Amino acid sequence: MTISSDPSKVTAICFDRINIPNQNKLSVARENGAYKFLSTVLKEFDSDKIISEVKTSGLRGRGGAGFPTGLKWSFVPRNTGKPIYLLCNADEGEPGTFKDRDIMRFDPHLLIEGMIMAGFALGVHDAYIYIRGEFLHEANVLNAAIEEAYAANLLGENILGTNYSLNLTVHRGAGAYVCGEETALIESLEGKPGRPRFKPPFPAVEGFYACPTVVNNVETLATIPAILEFGGAWHAAIGKPNNTGMKIFSVSGHVNKPGNYEVPLGTTLRSLIENQCGGLQHGSVPKAIIPGGSSTPWILAEHYDVPLTYDDIVKAGSFLGSGAIIVMDETADMVALTRRLTHFYAHESCGQCTPCREGTGWVERVMTRVENGSGCEADLTVLKEASEHMAGRTICALADGAAAPVLSLLKHFPDEVRSHLKEKVA
Amino acid sequence: MTTLFINDEEVTVTAGTSILEACRKHGADVPYFCYHPELSVAANCRMCLVEVEGFAKPAASCCTPVSEGMKVRTQSEGLSKDRQMVMEYLLIHHPLDCPVCDQGGACKLQDYTITHGANHGRYAEEKRAVVDHDLGPFVSTCMTRCIHCTRCVRFADEIAGTGDMGILNRSDHMKIDGIVEEALESELSGNLAEICPVGALLDKPSHDVSRPWEVTRHKSTCTQCPQGCDIVIESRGKEVIRIKSDHEGVESWICDRGRYVYDAFRSVHRISQPTIKEGDGSVAVAWDEAFAHAVNILKDKKVGIVFSPYWSVEGLASIRMLKDVAFKDAKVAFDLHRRDMRMFAFEEGFGSSTEDIVEADEVVILGSDLRQRLPILMQMLRKRSNEGKSVSRIGAMHYRTNSELSNDQIIRPRDWHAVIARAMQQLIDQGKPAAGMKEWMAKVTDRHEAGKVLADALLADTCCLLVGEEIRSHVDAASLIFGLDMLMRASGHGEVGRDGRNLIPEGMNAQLLSAVFGDVRVSVGELLDAANDGDIEALLLIGSDPLGDGLFPVEAKRAMGKVPMVQVGAIAGQISVFADVQLPAAAYSEVEGTFINQEGRIRVATQPLKSLGEERALWKIMMRLAQDLGFEAPAVSLDGVREAIAQYIPELKDVWAGKADGGWKVPVKRNRIAEMLPNDIEPAMALDVVSRYSMYREGAWVRASASLAEAGRLHALDDVIVHPDTLAALGLKANDKCTFQTSNGACQFVAGTRDDVSPGVLFVSKRGVAGDLSSETMVNLSKGGA
Repeated sequence: MTISSDPSKVTAICFDRINIPNQNKLSVARENGAYKFLSTVLKEFDSDKIISEVKTSGLRGRGGAGFPTGLKWSFVPRNTGKPIYLLCNADEGEPGTFKDRDIMRFDPHLLIEGMIMAGFALGVHDAYIYIRGEFLHEANVLNAAIEEAYAANLLGENILGTNYSLNLTVHRGAGAYVCGEETALIESLEGKPGRPRFKPPFPAVEGFYACPTVVNNVETLATIPAILEFGGAWHAAIGKPNNTGMKIFSVSGHVNKPGNYEVPLGTTLRSLIENQCGGLQHGSVPKAIIPGGSSTPWILAEHYDVPLTYDDIVKAGSFLGSGAIIVMDETADMVALTRRLTHFYAHESCGQCTPCREGTGWVERVMTRVENGSGCEADLTVLKEASEHMAGRTICALADGAAAPVLSLLKHFPDEVRSHLKEKVA
Repeated sequence: MTTLFINDEEVTVTAGTSILEACRKHGADVPYFCYHPELSVAANCRMCLVEVEGFAKPAASCCTPVSEGMKVRTQSEGLSKDRQMVMEYLLIHHPLDCPVCDQGGACKLQDYTITHGANHGRYAEEKRAVVDHDLGPFVSTCMTRCIHCTRCVRFADEIAGTGDMGILNRSDHMKIDGIVEEALESELSGNLAEICPVGALLDKPSHDVSRPWEVTRHKSTCTQCPQGCDIVIESRGKEVIRIKSDHEGVESWICDRGRYVYDAFRSVHRISQPTIKEGDGSVAVAWDEAFAHAVNILKDKKVGIVFSPYWSVEGLASIRMLKDVAFKDAKVAFDLHRRDMRMFAFEEGFGSSTEDIVEADEVVILGSDLRQRLPILMQMLRKRSNEGKSVSRIGAMHYRTNSELSNDQIIRPRDWHAVIARAMQQLIDQGKPAAGMKEWMAKVTDRHEAGKVLADALLADTCCLLVGEEIRSHVDAASLIFGLDMLMRASGHGEVGRDGRNLIPEGMNAQLLSAVFGDVRVSVGELLDAANDGDIEALLLIGSDPLGDGLFPVEAKRAMGKVPMVQVGAIAGQISVFADVQLPAAAYSEVEGTFINQEGRIRVATQPLKSLGEERALWKIMMRLAQDLGFEAPAVSLDGVREAIAQYIPELKDVWAGKADGGWKVPVKRNRIAEMLPNDIEPAMALDVVSRYSMYREGAWVRASASLAEAGRLHALDDVIVHPDTLAALGLKANDKCTFQTSNGACQFVAGTRDDVSPGVLFVSKRGVAGDLSSETMVNLSKGGA
């Protein structure tokens, strides 16, 4: 690895080897440092030490919720007599997010190494990567990499001559967005329809096949090898307090150079867009920004200088989420955009909870009417109430995500909605 | 225990209770659709939201466990709005057809729309319509009304055990689907209509018949099987509209047999007025004339009395009272399935309470198709199996249970001795002998390995046996039951308080029947043969139908018409063509009376329906007969009859006086002296006959019901079934015509095959073409037939 042991000089963690060709081949990956530290971890570290390092690192889950990873791992009950499972959430389905895909297709061994270390820390012997169904190429790359890893005794029985054994299996999803929610993912992996479970019990206690289960995002697990090699304190020194480390942002929308950029947490939004993404396509400030994937509320130009940390984005009224930044400049039609998003959520609602099942479809139909110019003033109230009363009232957070764009539209751009009302279709 | 505050009121509940259950227990009203106390939690309707202090969002109370000091609010402005919105969401696609929907007036959705909904909906787009399912004779569907609470899905999975119902598709395309038709395979399918909170699943036989506000509800006891479930009969005037489970009763579910038998109440098969035979038919006459005819037939004759256990305790006791004054030498018989009339070491009835059975370490079903015989007990065992507790079985067929059995052995009825002997050997080997075992075992040459299942279960701390019809109707039943009794006593399951000996009775009131008739009962076969031979000069038939039910159809056919017959009953049945006089007796729903179920639980019915015709309570008919025959009536009031019963079971006095402890149960009769050794008779023929019990066909009441007859047709197996190996050994294959050699001569039938029956056993359907084979215990099978 070329990662610097000096935290101030770190430029990338997960994307450190991303540009090296054929990194998905084990020989190439090993030349570039993959699995270099694994044997030390397996032979010299123990579970407590690993979990303590991860806690020290301040690493927060990169999938969207930002829950401290070390803390999540420490919730797993040991000695229940049941097996413990590690599931990697690679169901990257949040509109706007495309970071995990790059890790998996360009540097699969980084994820595998992270999973071996996490599995070792948690006493896991069976781990699964639940990968989004559409990621066929990535699944093939991962499977080839896993095969090579088995052949090199990096997976399977007695890894690298130690007592530790781990099986790793890739499972492809079947195209449901909601399966990115951890309990729906577990249901789906168990072979059932992907519908979220209510909590408690939490997966850490009763998850996959009612056994203790940890579900971590790809980027989270890919960060583990560097944390263990350079230490939790090293990682904690990157970024901002309580928002430590590097983060990959998937930037899309009206910027000149959309793509994945790994920057330290705390980098300002403006700096990311102007320095990395080549600036906006039109104008000097964006009209609106979705900071963490389509399920997060929008922020406006007044927050263009917000530091990209979990805490600062909350202060700005939204969430860092998965780090999917969608930028809208002055040319964006916010009504059309919202209508398209409502269609997505209506299509993806799993259907079990009343408010989400009926509410998402209702909101989409009203939005369609509004966009077509056949809406009326009362529709604004309907949209607001129908959205507000699905959010936070269902088993999972899909309804919150469905409500966010509609409520943002009504809050920030009511006039734009009203201008649609006036346009009558001929 | 956990203490919390519901609307500022301090409440203490068991730890782990959900907020909703805590609220229900303490009278705080929380609306809900998907929650059901007997089903797993789905938490999908989101109607039961409450506010919890410290929670950022309203919580679904059904899936949130209580915690110490939690402060819950069930009413607030925010919650009212939330509930109003949930109602609006639900009504988006729900048709507004309440005026033509059977659920109207008893519909959660309708009620909550009034109490929680807005006065109009704002949805203006297209509504969803959903294709209906054919769910058989009992459940009609209107799936467009479905609100996706998934109660039916969970019912099919968890209670009926048939599964195969599910939800397809996502978002508002979601629908209840799967192999939904499979649900009608369940003997509990009628409950689907009851658990559906809206009008999506409705009761088919009572569809479009009445409105909920027109009916009167009568608490009653079902007498269709020994379970004696608490039921509520809904009637409009004298007409029974439907039967439902009594939700204040012991179990939430009732079976289809008990629920849908009600069309028999108003069927043409009811005996609604006294009749006398005239030519080939019969004519209705006044009660006095009918009694005069009956007296003519019975007076100073050698009488045979055959009755059914469907009557109330008072009715049954009055039969004995009549016999004691008027027919001292009469033969009395009631059990159509008992061949061995010697005393049983433990008579019919349960030593265990239902809770004991559900909680026991081991439960073994011996020779019973329990799903058909006792559907509600089977449902409880299914729940037990689902929790991972053991339920084993030994019997002549892998009878369908809709649940996993931990061990299921098939044997021939003739193997029972060898099974019990094998179990005895194991107990002796493991240091648990009982006096008498050695002598018993010495009479049995073989040892059958299925006995290991029995012995292993007996070695558990608590073990309950459910001894079924294959043993009860065995020709050597008394010795088998004595053997089982020794096993149970040796392994410590025979003591008071932990008595695991349960002999499944033929019908209700078994404990009373053995107490009142134990000393005079004879076999129905013997009684009918006596009638055939002229040793009996007249028959008094009270509710029983030996032509249609039981193991003596050949004897019944022979005897019928040989002697005059007086029929007292509610249902005419097949046998009625032979009746010279018919006296209509009120049905179990139409009398004040007492009923005892298999475990000895007592129910006293006090809200009877009015009879449709001129029916009278059985005890009144019996007493009037006694009078008209020239004797003083032993009792002239219900209290008088009860006084007489108290001679047999004194504790019942307190029950009637309302002074008894509600938990007191009528004990099962034990016969300590009944030391029966296995008989020495070598089986003379190759195949053992098992007469298959069908819940849709057995019993006069059931056969008078058109909807149960339809179900019987749908559920019927082949009339004659053997294992394919049994046929193959004779060079035969399925559907070949075979000759059956019986003790009554030869007959020819086509034999069907099933893999799940024991080789060496012939299953016959009592009501099928080969029904007469029910009279046999063994047959020989050979190729042949024109």
